[in-house]
Amino acid sequence: MIIVPCPHCGPRNSVDLRNCGEVVNRPNPDTATLTEWRTYLYLRENAAGWVSETWYCRAGCRRYFTIERNTVTNEIRDQS
Amino acid sequence: MSDLLFQSPLNKAELTSPGGNIGLTDESATTKILVRGQGPAVAYGQSKLLPNGTLICGSRPDEWTFLAGPGKSAEVQAGIDQSEATTIVDITHGRAMMRLFGPAATQALAKVCSIDLADDLTPDGAVFSASVAKVTCDLVRSDSQGIQAYLISCERSFGAYLISAVADAAQEFGLGVPAELSLH
Repeated sequence: MIIVPCPHCGPRNSVDLRNCGEVVNRPNPDTATLTEWRTYLYLRENAAGWVSETWYCRAGCRRYFTIERNTVTNEIRDQS
Repeated sequence: MSDLLFQSPLNKAELTSPGGNIGLTDESATTKILVRGQGPAVAYGQSKLLPNGTLICGSRPDEWTFLAGPGKSAEVQAGIDQSEATTIVDITHGRAMMRLFGPAATQALAKVCSIDLADDLTPDGAVFSASVAKVTCDLVRSDSQGIQAYLISCERSFGAYLISAVADAAQEFGLGVPAELSLH
């Protein structure tokens, strides 16, 4: 079980939330090349270690927030 | 909406245990008014009981749910400062609601909900949202005369399943569950 610290609801079991994946910067849609847009949409680092992730508090406050999670140990540290 | 004849998605009689240890009632007819935007001074996670019996629940960081007796939609909405609220919606017909009560209510709810239900974290009046039997629900701890009680509401279409799941969890504490509600 992973306990995720929601900024509004406090520590929550991860089953009450949804992992939305790595934080990726959205390129400017007016100037991005097709390669940049494809990279933004589909490609991720999948790093073994600390990764900034977006989580959605699905069953609680229904807010999106960012945390850092170690993908090897599932240790979590607040990024806010 | 409020003029429509209310039909409960649960429509079950009160379920009780012989020793009064636990009970489960259908409270779907409760008037439920959702307010978003600028609302009353009730913080997220807390509730406030007004003298007229309306319970204001801080459901989300910028969202409040007003709970009142059946058929009081117009009365409740009239009492809301509509100049500040962004959205006011009567969700009475869209939500199923039940009350789980009794000395064993906390133990029964803990079987199907991952929230820490200890008194210091979820005292009387606490408002929270969580999965109950894997259904996203809004919950209010609403004790009566010192007896633990929880108002549990969910989307109307999940109501029939949810009352069966909660009744199933409460069965080991003595709740009499009729055959039509049994999950087994």
